[in-house]
Amino acid sequence: MAFLSIQSVSKSFRTDGVETEVLTPLSLDIDRGELVTFLGPSGCGKTTLMRMVGGLESVEAGRITLDGVTLGPPDRRRGMVFQSYAAFPWLTVRGNIAFGLKYRTDLTNAEKTAITDRYLDMVGLKAFADQYTNRISGGMRQRVAIARTLASDPDVLLMDEPFGALDALTREHLQQQLLGINEAEQKTTIFVTHDVEEAILLAHRVVIFSARPAQILSVVDIGAGLGTQRDEALRQSAAFQSLRHEIQDTIRVEYARAREAEEAHAV
Amino acid sequence: MRLLVFRTGLPRRTELILGLAGLFAFLGAWHLTAISGLIKPQFLPTPWAVVEAFGRLFTDRNFAGDIAISIGRVWAAFTLSVVIAVPLGLMMSSYRAVGAALEPFVDFVRYLPVPALVPLLIIWFGVGEASKIAVLWMGTFFQLLLLVSDDTKRVPGEYVESGFTLGASQWQIMRDIIMPAALPNIVDNLRITLGWCWTYLIIAEIVAASSGVGHVIWSLRRFVKTPEVMAGIVAIGIVGLLTDQAFRYAHRRWFRYQRR
Repeated sequence: MAFLSIQSVSKSFRTDGVETEVLTPLSLDIDRGELVTFLGPSGCGKTTLMRMVGGLESVEAGRITLDGVTLGPPDRRRGMVFQSYAAFPWLTVRGNIAFGLKYRTDLTNAEKTAITDRYLDMVGLKAFADQYTNRISGGMRQRVAIARTLASDPDVLLMDEPFGALDALTREHLQQQLLGINEAEQKTTIFVTHDVEEAILLAHRVVIFSARPAQILSVVDIGAGLGTQRDEALRQSAAFQSLRHEIQDTIRVEYARAREAEEAHAV
Repeated sequence: MRLLVFRTGLPRRTELILGLAGLFAFLGAWHLTAISGLIKPQFLPTPWAVVEAFGRLFTDRNFAGDIAISIGRVWAAFTLSVVIAVPLGLMMSSYRAVGAALEPFVDFVRYLPVPALVPLLIIWFGVGEASKIAVLWMGTFFQLLLLVSDDTKRVPGEYVESGFTLGASQWQIMRDIIMPAALPNIVDNLRITLGWCWTYLIIAEIVAASSGVGHVIWSLRRFVKTPEVMAGIVAIGIVGLLTDQAFRYAHRRWFRYQRR
Protein backbone atom coordinates (compact mmCIF):
# COMPACT_ATOMS: atom_id res chain seq x y z
CA MET A 1 0.00 0.00 0.00
CA ALA A 2 1.11 3.53 -0.73
CA PHE A 3 2.72 5.60 2.05
CA LEU A 4 -0.03 8.23 1.94
CA SER A 5 -3.30 7.00 0.56
CA ILE A 6 -6.43 9.07 -0.11
CA GLN A 7 -9.33 6.66 -0.58
CA SER A 8 -12.72 7.74 -1.97
CA VAL A 9 -12.64 10.96 0.01
CA SER A 10 -15.42 13.46 -0.56
CA LYS A 11 -16.50 16.64 1.19
CA SER A 12 -19.40 19.03 1.27
CA PHE A 13 -20.05 22.12 3.31
CA ARG A 14 -23.40 23.25 4.66
CA THR A 15 -23.99 26.97 4.79
CA ASP A 16 -27.41 28.48 5.46
CA GLY A 17 -29.03 25.13 4.86
CA VAL A 18 -27.52 24.80 1.39
CA GLU A 19 -25.28 21.82 0.80
CA THR A 20 -22.29 22.60 -1.43
CA GLU A 21 -20.24 19.74 -2.74
CA VAL A 22 -16.54 20.65 -2.61
CA LEU A 23 -14.92 17.32 -3.42
CA THR A 24 -16.43 14.51 -5.41
CA PRO A 25 -15.18 11.13 -4.18
CA LEU A 26 -11.56 10.91 -5.27
CA SER A 27 -8.59 8.68 -4.59
CA LEU A 28 -4.85 9.26 -4.82
CA ASP A 29 -1.78 7.38 -3.68
CA ILE A 30 1.45 9.17 -2.83
CA ASP A 31 4.75 7.36 -2.32
CA ARG A 32 7.23 7.98 0.45
CA GLY A 33 9.54 10.85 -0.48
CA GLU A 34 7.39 11.95 -3.39
CA LEU A 35 6.60 15.60 -4.06
CA VAL A 36 3.13 16.01 -5.52
CA THR A 37 1.70 19.35 -6.56
CA PHE A 38 -2.04 20.03 -6.53
CA LEU A 39 -2.85 22.31 -9.43
CA GLY A 40 -6.25 23.81 -10.10
CA PRO A 41 -8.34 26.95 -10.26
CA SER A 42 -8.63 29.03 -7.08
CA GLY A 43 -11.33 27.84 -4.73
CA CYS A 44 -11.70 24.46 -6.42
CA GLY A 45 -11.20 22.41 -3.28
CA LYS A 46 -7.55 21.37 -3.64
CA THR A 47 -6.66 23.20 -0.43
CA THR A 48 -9.59 21.53 1.32
CA LEU A 49 -8.25 18.11 0.33
CA MET A 50 -4.78 18.98 1.59
CA ARG A 51 -6.23 20.29 4.87
CA MET A 52 -8.08 16.99 5.23
CA VAL A 53 -4.73 15.20 4.94
CA GLY A 54 -3.46 17.53 7.65
CA GLY A 55 -6.42 16.74 9.90
CA LEU A 56 -7.51 20.40 9.80
CA GLU A 57 -10.78 19.46 8.05
CA SER A 58 -12.80 16.45 9.06
CA VAL A 59 -13.00 13.45 6.74
CA GLU A 60 -16.63 12.38 6.72
CA ALA A 61 -16.63 10.10 3.70
CA GLY A 62 -13.78 7.87 2.65
CA ARG A 63 -10.49 7.71 4.52
CA ILE A 64 -6.91 8.89 4.41
CA THR A 65 -4.18 6.57 5.61
CA LEU A 66 -0.53 7.13 6.43
CA ASP A 67 1.59 4.00 6.48
CA GLY A 68 -1.65 1.99 6.47
CA VAL A 69 -3.13 3.72 9.53
CA THR A 70 -6.21 5.96 9.21
CA LEU A 71 -5.43 9.59 10.00
CA GLY A 72 -7.35 11.68 12.52
CA PRO A 73 -6.91 15.09 14.15
CA PRO A 74 -3.83 17.18 13.35
CA ASP A 75 -0.50 16.19 14.85
CA ARG A 76 3.23 16.43 14.34
CA ARG A 77 3.26 13.78 11.58
CA ARG A 78 1.73 16.24 9.12
CA GLY A 79 3.47 19.62 9.07
CA MET A 80 1.79 22.55 7.40
CA VAL A 81 3.09 25.73 5.77
CA PHE A 82 0.44 28.38 5.07
CA GLN A 83 0.24 31.05 2.40
CA SER A 84 -0.07 33.79 5.00
CA TYR A 85 3.16 34.07 6.92
CA ALA A 86 2.41 32.15 10.09
CA ALA A 87 5.77 32.81 11.72
CA PHE A 88 5.07 33.94 15.29
CA PRO A 89 5.88 37.65 15.74
CA TRP A 90 6.62 37.36 19.48
CA LEU A 91 9.45 34.93 18.85
CA THR A 92 12.78 35.41 17.14
CA VAL A 93 13.69 33.46 14.01
CA ARG A 94 15.45 30.92 16.19
CA GLY A 95 12.56 30.78 18.66
CA ASN A 96 10.17 30.10 15.79
CA ILE A 97 12.24 27.29 14.34
CA ALA A 98 12.66 25.69 17.77
CA PHE A 99 8.95 26.06 18.58
CA GLY A 100 7.78 22.51 17.83
CA LEU A 101 10.85 20.99 19.46
CA LYS A 102 9.95 22.16 22.95
CA TYR A 103 7.13 19.62 23.06
CA ARG A 104 9.49 16.75 22.28
CA THR A 105 10.45 14.68 25.28
CA ASP A 106 12.48 12.22 23.22
CA LEU A 107 15.23 14.76 22.46
CA THR A 108 17.91 16.24 24.69
CA ASN A 109 18.40 20.00 24.77
CA ALA A 110 21.66 19.61 22.89
CA GLU A 111 19.88 17.68 20.15
CA LYS A 112 17.18 20.34 19.97
CA THR A 113 19.77 23.07 19.55
CA ALA A 114 21.55 21.05 16.88
CA ILE A 115 18.31 20.52 14.94
CA THR A 116 17.43 24.22 15.19
CA ASP A 117 20.89 25.22 13.94
CA ARG A 118 20.68 22.74 11.09
CA TYR A 119 17.43 24.17 9.71
CA LEU A 120 18.43 27.74 10.45
CA ASP A 121 21.39 27.02 8.18
CA MET A 122 19.36 25.12 5.57
CA VAL A 123 17.06 28.08 4.89
CA GLY A 124 19.98 30.51 5.04
CA LEU A 125 18.80 32.54 8.02
CA LYS A 126 21.75 32.06 10.38
CA ALA A 127 22.55 35.77 10.26
CA PHE A 128 18.97 36.62 11.26
CA ALA A 129 18.62 34.06 14.07
CA ASP A 130 18.00 36.63 16.79
CA GLN A 131 15.76 38.98 14.79
CA TYR A 132 12.04 39.20 15.41
CA THR A 133 10.05 38.20 12.37
CA ASN A 134 8.55 41.62 11.67
CA ARG A 135 12.05 42.89 10.96
CA ILE A 136 12.57 40.47 8.07
CA SER A 137 10.99 40.24 4.62
CA GLY A 138 7.99 38.13 3.63
CA GLY A 139 10.22 35.66 1.82
CA MET A 140 12.36 35.23 4.92
CA ARG A 141 9.29 34.79 7.09
CA GLN A 142 8.11 32.01 4.82
CA ARG A 143 11.53 30.37 5.09
CA VAL A 144 11.16 30.56 8.88
CA ALA A 145 7.80 28.78 8.59
CA ILE A 146 9.29 26.10 6.34
CA ALA A 147 12.28 25.57 8.66
CA ARG A 148 9.99 25.45 11.69
CA THR A 149 7.85 22.77 10.05
CA LEU A 150 10.84 20.70 8.91
CA ALA A 151 12.47 20.94 12.34
CA SER A 152 9.57 19.07 13.88
CA ASP A 153 10.33 16.25 11.40
CA PRO A 154 6.89 15.53 9.95
CA ASP A 155 6.21 12.42 7.85
CA VAL A 156 4.32 14.56 5.37
CA LEU A 157 4.92 18.19 4.49
CA LEU A 158 1.82 20.12 3.41
CA MET A 159 2.31 23.45 1.67
CA ASP A 160 -0.64 25.69 0.85
CA GLU A 161 0.45 28.12 -1.88
CA PRO A 162 3.41 29.06 0.32
CA PHE A 163 4.99 31.33 -2.29
CA GLY A 164 1.73 32.82 -3.58
CA ALA A 165 2.14 36.17 -1.85
CA LEU A 166 5.79 36.67 -2.81
CA ASP A 167 7.23 38.71 -5.66
CA ALA A 168 8.40 36.79 -8.73
CA LEU A 169 12.14 36.93 -7.97
CA THR A 170 11.76 35.86 -4.36
CA ARG A 171 9.40 33.12 -5.45
CA GLU A 172 11.97 31.73 -7.89
CA HIS A 173 14.63 31.84 -5.20
CA LEU A 174 12.44 29.98 -2.73
CA GLN A 175 11.42 27.41 -5.32
CA GLN A 176 15.10 26.62 -5.90
CA GLN A 177 15.68 26.48 -2.17
CA LEU A 178 12.75 24.11 -1.73
CA LEU A 179 14.13 21.83 -4.46
CA GLY A 180 17.43 21.76 -2.61
CA ILE A 181 15.75 21.02 0.70
CA ASN A 182 13.64 18.32 -0.88
CA GLU A 183 16.73 16.65 -2.29
CA ALA A 184 18.37 16.66 1.14
CA GLU A 185 15.31 15.67 3.17
CA GLN A 186 13.31 13.46 0.78
CA LYS A 187 10.11 14.55 2.49
CA THR A 188 6.78 13.33 1.22
CA THR A 189 5.22 16.62 0.17
CA ILE A 190 1.90 17.95 -1.07
CA PHE A 191 2.28 21.41 -2.56
CA VAL A 192 -0.85 23.34 -3.53
CA THR A 193 -0.51 26.00 -6.22
CA HIS A 194 -2.36 27.58 -9.11
CA ASP A 195 0.89 28.47 -10.92
CA VAL A 196 1.45 25.96 -13.73
CA GLU A 197 5.23 26.50 -13.98
CA GLU A 198 5.67 26.19 -10.24
CA ALA A 199 3.64 22.99 -10.24
CA ILE A 200 5.84 21.44 -12.95
CA LEU A 201 9.17 22.69 -11.66
CA LEU A 202 8.77 21.31 -8.15
CA ALA A 203 6.85 18.11 -8.72
CA HIS A 204 7.45 14.47 -9.29
CA ARG A 205 3.78 14.35 -10.22
CA VAL A 206 1.25 17.10 -10.91
CA VAL A 207 -2.34 16.39 -9.93
CA ILE A 208 -4.72 18.58 -11.93
CA PHE A 209 -8.06 19.36 -10.32
CA SER A 210 -11.31 20.37 -11.98
CA ALA A 211 -13.36 23.38 -10.92
CA ARG A 212 -15.60 22.92 -7.90
CA PRO A 213 -16.73 20.33 -7.02
CA ALA A 214 -13.18 19.09 -7.41
CA GLN A 215 -12.29 15.87 -9.09
CA ILE A 216 -8.92 14.78 -10.41
CA LEU A 217 -8.75 15.59 -14.12
CA SER A 218 -5.38 14.00 -14.70
CA VAL A 219 -2.14 13.11 -13.02
CA VAL A 220 0.96 14.07 -14.99
CA ASP A 221 4.18 12.24 -14.21
CA ILE A 222 6.78 14.98 -14.42
CA GLY A 223 9.65 12.77 -13.23
CA ALA A 224 9.22 10.58 -16.32
CA GLY A 225 9.51 13.56 -18.65
CA LEU A 226 11.95 15.87 -16.90
CA GLY A 227 13.88 13.61 -14.56
CA THR A 228 14.58 14.49 -10.97
CA GLN A 229 17.33 17.05 -11.55
CA ARG A 230 15.66 20.45 -11.47
CA ASP A 231 17.06 23.92 -11.80
CA GLU A 232 16.11 27.32 -13.13
CA ALA A 233 17.52 26.52 -16.61
CA LEU A 234 15.01 23.71 -16.94
CA ARG A 235 12.24 26.26 -17.35
CA GLN A 236 13.59 27.16 -20.79
CA SER A 237 13.88 23.57 -22.03
CA ALA A 238 11.59 22.27 -24.76
CA ALA A 239 10.43 19.37 -22.59
CA PHE A 240 9.38 21.75 -19.81
CA GLN A 241 7.58 24.07 -22.20
CA SER A 242 5.70 21.25 -23.91
CA LEU A 243 4.57 19.95 -20.53
CA ARG A 244 3.46 23.44 -19.61
CA HIS A 245 1.42 23.73 -22.81
CA GLU A 246 -0.12 20.33 -22.31
CA ILE A 247 -1.18 21.12 -18.76
CA GLN A 248 -2.35 24.61 -19.61
CA ASP A 249 -4.53 23.18 -22.38
CA THR A 250 -6.11 20.73 -19.95
CA ILE A 251 -6.86 23.58 -17.58
CA ARG A 252 -8.15 25.86 -20.33
CA VAL A 253 -10.62 23.23 -21.52
CA GLU A 254 -11.74 22.70 -17.92
CA TYR A 255 -12.24 26.44 -17.35
CA ALA A 256 -14.35 26.69 -20.49
CA ARG A 257 -16.44 23.71 -19.40
CA ALA A 258 -16.93 25.13 -15.92
CA ARG A 259 -17.94 28.52 -17.26
CA GLU A 260 -20.44 26.97 -19.67
CA ALA A 261 -21.92 24.88 -16.88
CA GLU A 262 -22.17 27.98 -14.71
CA GLU A 263 -23.88 30.01 -17.42
CA ALA A 264 -26.27 27.18 -18.19
CA HIS A 265 -27.06 27.05 -14.50
CA ALA A 266 -27.63 30.80 -14.37
CA VAL A 267 -30.16 30.61 -17.24
CA MET B 1 8.07 76.16 9.15
CA ARG B 2 4.68 75.08 7.87
CA LEU B 3 2.58 73.60 10.63
CA LEU B 4 -0.58 72.65 8.78
CA VAL B 5 0.56 69.84 6.52
CA PHE B 6 -2.22 67.45 5.62
CA ARG B 7 -1.79 64.00 7.26
CA THR B 8 1.93 64.33 7.84
CA GLY B 9 3.92 63.95 11.04
CA LEU B 10 5.84 66.72 12.82
CA PRO B 11 9.19 66.68 14.65
CA ARG B 12 8.82 65.50 18.24
CA ARG B 13 10.06 68.82 19.62
CA THR B 14 7.45 70.75 17.64
CA GLU B 15 4.73 68.46 18.92
CA LEU B 16 5.90 69.01 22.50
CA ILE B 17 5.92 72.79 22.07
CA LEU B 18 2.43 72.71 20.53
CA GLY B 19 1.16 70.53 23.38
CA LEU B 20 2.50 72.94 26.01
CA ALA B 21 1.18 75.93 24.06
CA GLY B 22 -2.29 74.40 24.03
CA LEU B 23 -2.14 73.79 27.77
CA PHE B 24 -0.95 77.32 28.54
CA ALA B 25 -3.56 78.85 26.24
CA PHE B 26 -6.21 77.03 28.24
CA LEU B 27 -4.71 78.13 31.57
CA GLY B 28 -4.34 81.71 30.30
CA ALA B 29 -7.97 81.90 29.16
CA TRP B 30 -9.06 80.48 32.51
CA HIS B 31 -6.92 82.95 34.43
CA LEU B 32 -8.19 85.95 32.45
CA THR B 33 -11.80 84.89 32.90
CA ALA B 34 -11.25 84.41 36.64
CA ILE B 35 -9.67 87.83 37.23
CA SER B 36 -12.11 89.67 34.96
CA GLY B 37 -14.69 89.63 37.74
CA LEU B 38 -17.39 88.24 35.45
CA ILE B 39 -17.58 85.09 37.53
CA LYS B 40 -17.35 85.06 41.31
CA PRO B 41 -14.18 83.43 42.71
CA GLN B 42 -16.19 80.85 44.67
CA PHE B 43 -17.36 79.52 41.29
CA LEU B 44 -14.20 80.04 39.30
CA PRO B 45 -10.96 80.50 41.26
CA THR B 46 -7.76 81.32 39.37
CA PRO B 47 -5.47 78.46 38.29
CA TRP B 48 -2.95 79.59 40.90
CA ALA B 49 -5.58 79.41 43.67
CA VAL B 50 -6.15 75.79 42.64
CA VAL B 51 -2.41 75.11 42.81
CA GLU B 52 -2.29 76.62 46.31
CA ALA B 53 -5.34 74.58 47.33
CA PHE B 54 -3.57 71.52 45.97
CA GLY B 55 -0.71 72.17 48.38
CA ARG B 56 -3.13 72.80 51.28
CA LEU B 57 -4.83 69.45 50.66
CA PHE B 58 -1.55 67.76 51.52
CA THR B 59 -0.57 70.00 54.46
CA ASP B 60 -3.95 70.65 56.12
CA ARG B 61 -5.28 67.14 55.73
CA ASN B 62 -3.84 63.78 54.87
CA PHE B 63 -4.67 63.90 51.16
CA ALA B 64 -1.77 61.60 50.28
CA GLY B 65 -3.43 58.98 52.46
CA ASP B 66 -6.73 59.45 50.63
CA ILE B 67 -5.00 59.08 47.27
CA ALA B 68 -3.31 55.92 48.52
CA ILE B 69 -6.65 54.52 49.67
CA SER B 70 -8.26 55.30 46.31
CA ILE B 71 -5.39 53.76 44.35
CA GLY B 72 -5.58 50.70 46.61
CA ARG B 73 -9.30 50.28 45.91
CA VAL B 74 -8.84 50.67 42.17
CA TRP B 75 -6.04 48.13 42.02
CA ALA B 76 -7.75 45.62 44.32
CA ALA B 77 -10.89 45.64 42.18
CA PHE B 78 -8.95 45.79 38.92
CA THR B 79 -6.74 42.84 39.87
CA LEU B 80 -9.80 40.85 40.88
CA SER B 81 -11.37 41.60 37.48
CA VAL B 82 -8.26 40.69 35.54
CA VAL B 83 -7.47 37.38 37.24
CA ILE B 84 -10.98 36.13 36.49
CA ALA B 85 -11.65 37.84 33.15
CA VAL B 86 -8.44 36.81 31.37
CA PRO B 87 -8.70 33.03 31.82
CA LEU B 88 -12.49 33.07 31.44
CA GLY B 89 -12.30 35.22 28.30
CA LEU B 90 -9.76 32.80 26.87
CA MET B 91 -12.11 29.89 27.59
CA MET B 92 -15.02 31.77 25.99
CA SER B 93 -13.17 32.19 22.74
CA SER B 94 -11.61 28.72 22.79
CA TYR B 95 -14.74 26.72 23.50
CA ARG B 96 -17.89 27.79 21.74
CA ALA B 97 -20.00 26.17 24.48
CA VAL B 98 -18.53 28.46 27.14
CA GLY B 99 -19.02 31.48 24.90
CA ALA B 100 -22.59 30.55 24.01
CA ALA B 101 -23.46 30.00 27.67
CA LEU B 102 -21.98 33.27 28.94
CA GLU B 103 -22.40 35.84 26.16
CA PRO B 104 -26.13 36.67 26.53
CA PHE B 105 -25.83 37.11 30.29
CA VAL B 106 -22.60 39.12 30.05
CA ASP B 107 -24.09 41.35 27.36
CA PHE B 108 -27.07 42.04 29.59
CA VAL B 109 -25.03 42.91 32.68
CA ARG B 110 -22.64 44.96 30.60
CA TYR B 111 -25.40 47.36 29.65
CA LEU B 112 -26.52 47.99 33.23
CA PRO B 113 -25.34 51.46 34.31
CA VAL B 114 -23.00 50.93 37.23
CA PRO B 115 -24.35 53.89 39.28
CA ALA B 116 -27.75 52.18 39.24
CA LEU B 117 -26.18 49.18 40.94
CA VAL B 118 -24.62 51.18 43.78
CA PRO B 119 -27.69 51.13 46.08
CA LEU B 120 -28.06 47.38 45.62
CA LEU B 121 -24.39 46.76 46.22
CA ILE B 122 -24.52 48.84 49.41
CA ILE B 123 -27.49 46.78 50.63
CA TRP B 124 -25.46 43.64 49.95
CA PHE B 125 -22.02 44.68 51.07
CA GLY B 126 -22.62 47.60 53.44
CA VAL B 127 -20.65 50.85 53.30
CA GLY B 128 -17.23 49.27 53.90
CA GLU B 129 -14.47 48.47 51.43
CA ALA B 130 -16.31 45.47 49.99
CA SER B 131 -19.06 47.55 48.40
CA LYS B 132 -16.57 49.89 46.71
CA ILE B 133 -14.63 47.00 45.27
CA ALA B 134 -17.88 45.39 44.18
CA VAL B 135 -18.89 48.55 42.29
CA LEU B 136 -15.55 48.75 40.47
CA TRP B 137 -15.58 45.04 39.77
CA MET B 138 -19.09 45.18 38.31
CA GLY B 139 -18.06 48.10 36.15
CA THR B 140 -14.97 46.47 34.68
CA PHE B 141 -15.23 42.69 34.86
CA PHE B 142 -17.95 42.13 32.28
CA GLN B 143 -16.48 44.62 29.82
CA LEU B 144 -13.04 43.14 30.20
CA LEU B 145 -14.36 39.61 29.78
CA LEU B 146 -15.73 40.40 26.33
CA LEU B 147 -12.64 42.39 25.34
CA VAL B 148 -10.33 39.50 26.27
CA SER B 149 -12.62 37.05 24.50
CA ASP B 150 -12.47 39.19 21.34
CA ASP B 151 -8.70 39.71 21.58
CA THR B 152 -8.06 35.98 21.83
CA LYS B 153 -10.63 35.21 19.13
CA ARG B 154 -8.74 37.46 16.73
CA VAL B 155 -5.55 35.36 16.95
CA PRO B 156 -5.11 34.10 13.35
CA GLY B 157 -6.36 30.57 12.73
CA GLU B 158 -3.06 29.76 11.00
CA TYR B 159 -1.18 30.32 14.26
CA VAL B 160 -3.37 27.80 16.05
CA GLU B 161 -3.28 25.31 13.17
CA SER B 162 0.50 25.66 12.95
CA GLY B 163 0.58 24.83 16.66
CA PHE B 164 -1.37 21.61 16.16
CA THR B 165 0.80 20.48 13.25
CA LEU B 166 3.92 21.24 15.31
CA GLY B 167 2.72 18.83 17.97
CA ALA B 168 1.28 21.22 20.59
CA SER B 169 -1.75 20.19 22.65
CA GLN B 170 -4.81 22.43 23.13
CA TRP B 171 -3.52 23.60 26.45
CA GLN B 172 -0.03 24.27 25.07
CA ILE B 173 -1.58 26.23 22.18
CA MET B 174 -3.49 28.42 24.65
CA ARG B 175 -0.37 29.04 26.73
CA ASP B 176 2.28 29.29 24.02
CA ILE B 177 0.37 30.73 21.05
CA ILE B 178 -2.97 32.36 21.88
CA MET B 179 -1.80 34.14 25.04
CA PRO B 180 1.41 35.65 23.62
CA ALA B 181 -0.34 36.50 20.34
CA ALA B 182 -3.20 38.30 22.08
CA LEU B 183 -1.21 39.81 24.94
CA PRO B 184 -0.35 43.18 23.35
CA ASN B 185 -4.05 43.84 22.69
CA ILE B 186 -5.07 42.52 26.10
CA VAL B 187 -2.62 44.85 27.86
CA ASP B 188 -3.97 47.75 25.83
CA ASN B 189 -7.49 46.88 26.93
CA LEU B 190 -6.35 46.58 30.55
CA ARG B 191 -5.04 50.11 30.33
CA ILE B 192 -8.38 51.39 29.05
CA THR B 193 -10.35 49.40 31.62
CA LEU B 194 -8.23 50.71 34.45
CA GLY B 195 -9.28 54.22 33.39
CA TRP B 196 -12.94 53.28 33.81
CA CYS B 197 -12.14 52.04 37.31
CA TRP B 198 -11.40 55.62 38.34
CA THR B 199 -14.77 56.84 37.09
CA TYR B 200 -16.63 54.23 39.09
CA LEU B 201 -14.41 54.74 42.11
CA ILE B 202 -15.33 58.40 42.44
CA ILE B 203 -19.03 57.52 42.17
CA ALA B 204 -18.62 54.88 44.87
CA GLU B 205 -16.65 57.22 47.12
CA ILE B 206 -19.12 60.08 46.72
CA VAL B 207 -22.09 57.90 47.60
CA ALA B 208 -20.70 56.11 50.61
CA ALA B 209 -17.19 56.58 51.93
CA SER B 210 -15.29 58.21 54.75
CA SER B 211 -11.99 58.27 52.90
CA GLY B 212 -10.56 58.46 49.39
CA VAL B 213 -10.28 61.18 46.77
CA GLY B 214 -14.00 61.11 45.90
CA HIS B 215 -14.97 61.52 49.52
CA VAL B 216 -12.57 64.47 49.95
CA ILE B 217 -13.96 66.25 46.91
CA TRP B 218 -17.52 65.66 48.01
CA SER B 219 -17.04 66.82 51.61
CA LEU B 220 -15.16 70.01 50.57
CA ARG B 221 -18.06 70.84 48.26
CA ARG B 222 -20.21 71.37 51.34
CA PHE B 223 -18.03 74.33 52.34
CA VAL B 224 -17.91 75.61 48.75
CA LYS B 225 -14.13 75.23 48.78
CA THR B 226 -14.07 75.38 45.01
CA PRO B 227 -10.24 75.59 44.66
CA GLU B 228 -9.89 72.42 46.77
CA VAL B 229 -12.62 70.64 44.82
CA MET B 230 -10.85 71.49 41.57
CA ALA B 231 -7.51 70.49 43.04
CA GLY B 232 -8.99 67.10 43.94
CA ILE B 233 -10.16 66.62 40.36
CA VAL B 234 -6.72 67.58 39.09
CA ALA B 235 -5.20 65.00 41.44
CA ILE B 236 -7.32 62.26 39.82
CA GLY B 237 -6.18 63.47 36.41
CA ILE B 238 -2.53 63.30 37.45
CA VAL B 239 -2.84 59.79 38.88
CA GLY B 240 -4.66 58.69 35.71
CA LEU B 241 -2.06 60.24 33.45
CA LEU B 242 0.82 58.63 35.35
CA THR B 243 -0.83 55.20 35.31
CA ASP B 244 -1.58 55.48 31.62
CA GLN B 245 1.99 56.48 30.82
CA ALA B 246 3.33 53.61 32.92
CA PHE B 247 1.15 51.18 30.97
CA ARG B 248 2.27 52.62 27.65
CA TYR B 249 5.90 52.42 28.71
CA ALA B 250 5.50 48.79 29.79
CA HIS B 251 3.72 48.03 26.53
CA ARG B 252 6.59 49.47 24.51
CA ARG B 253 9.13 47.53 26.53
CA TRP B 254 7.37 44.16 26.65
CA PHE B 255 6.21 44.15 23.06
CA ARG B 256 9.30 45.59 21.48
CA TYR B 257 8.99 43.04 18.68
CA GLN B 258 5.92 44.86 17.39
CA ARG B 259 7.97 47.89 16.51
CA ARG B 260 9.15 48.01 12.95
